[in-house]
Amino acid sequence: MEIAEKTVHDRARHQAEEEALAALVSQYAGTIYRVAYSVLRNAADAEDAVQETYLRVLRHRDTLDQVRDQRVWLVRIVWNIVLDRKRRAKTRPETDDVAELARVLPAAGLSAEQRAAAAQHHAQVLACVEQLPAKERQVLMLSAFDELSSVEIAAVLGITESSVRSRLFRARNLIAGLLNHSRSLK
Amino acid sequence: MNASKQYPLKNNSRQSGRMGEPPSPAELTLRLIAGLPAPVGLEGRVEASVRAAAKEPGKARLLSWPAPRWDSAWMRGAAAAAIVFVVVGGGWGVYSRVQPAQQPRVIAMPRTVAPGGFSNAGAMRTPQTLNGPVVTHPAATVAPPVASQTKPARPKGRKVKAATAAMGPNGR
Repeated sequence: MEIAEKTVHDRARHQAEEEALAALVSQYAGTIYRVAYSVLRNAADAEDAVQETYLRVLRHRDTLDQVRDQRVWLVRIVWNIVLDRKRRAKTRPETDDVAELARVLPAAGLSAEQRAAAAQHHAQVLACVEQLPAKERQVLMLSAFDELSSVEIAAVLGITESSVRSRLFRARNLIAGLLNHSRSLK
Repeated sequence: MNASKQYPLKNNSRQSGRMGEPPSPAELTLRLIAGLPAPVGLEGRVEASVRAAAKEPGKARLLSWPAPRWDSAWMRGAAAAAIVFVVVGGGWGVYSRVQPAQQPRVIAMPRTVAPGGFSNAGAMRTPQTLNGPVVTHPAATVAPPVASQTKPARPKGRKVKAATAAMGPNGR
């Protein structure tokens, strides 16, 4: 009798965990994918990172109810995954970025030439972003997401909010200088 | 000074880069990328992979075995006995295989160095750098004289001269 009750309880708990996980997937998979894509800039790699994120969540599903902000928690997980993957991967050539951006960027009302020029411009801008120091670059990339406030960026990076602001300030100044320098070279 | 005034950033609301300034091209590009839609069917694929991983508990969980039931006392005792048996058996196995180093029966005395010479410093093989002089033993090479075959000793020179003088110039 006791065994039957425990089994029923385990099944119910398992069912509840699965439902919670499915809700997390349907609610935040898009956000997590975009965070992963902004770093990896490859659709397949980003989707792999999303799947790895949820597999890690599955491993810690017992502690899912203890997480205060699940969205920030998930972004933090995927952020660590993509940074680790990018560290291990070779440096992407700029031509890869141009081709990928030309494929994914919205091209409504643009001719093929305009589309190629826009992709070229964005790839050059991203190359300048890559030249930033890691701390400033990470804050700048995360600040591009509308879903994340400065407090949430601080939680993702494990720093204080004032550090986020000062790093963002430095990142903006540095990127402005880099872009001016690249323009003057042309 | 308020940090939010010095370094403006969105606070749970969307804002551009700096107050009153348009965002830089870098931020525009990053926002464009950050706003790209996720591929169609992403949620379904992720959910399917998560379900597949959940059905394989060996991969999904570190310890997937059902928790053992320690209700009965004899099971606890058996488990404790098994642990003790494994630990003692392992210790005995190590003890029986590892023998203490035995004392050498022959005491090796250190070599004495010849006075005024050089030692080989314990080298196993000393290369021969010079061909040393070969000592020959004349007594060993020359046969000892036999007493019966010895020739008579030659007379001294003065006696020979006297004998020849007595014999005359032709020796007669």
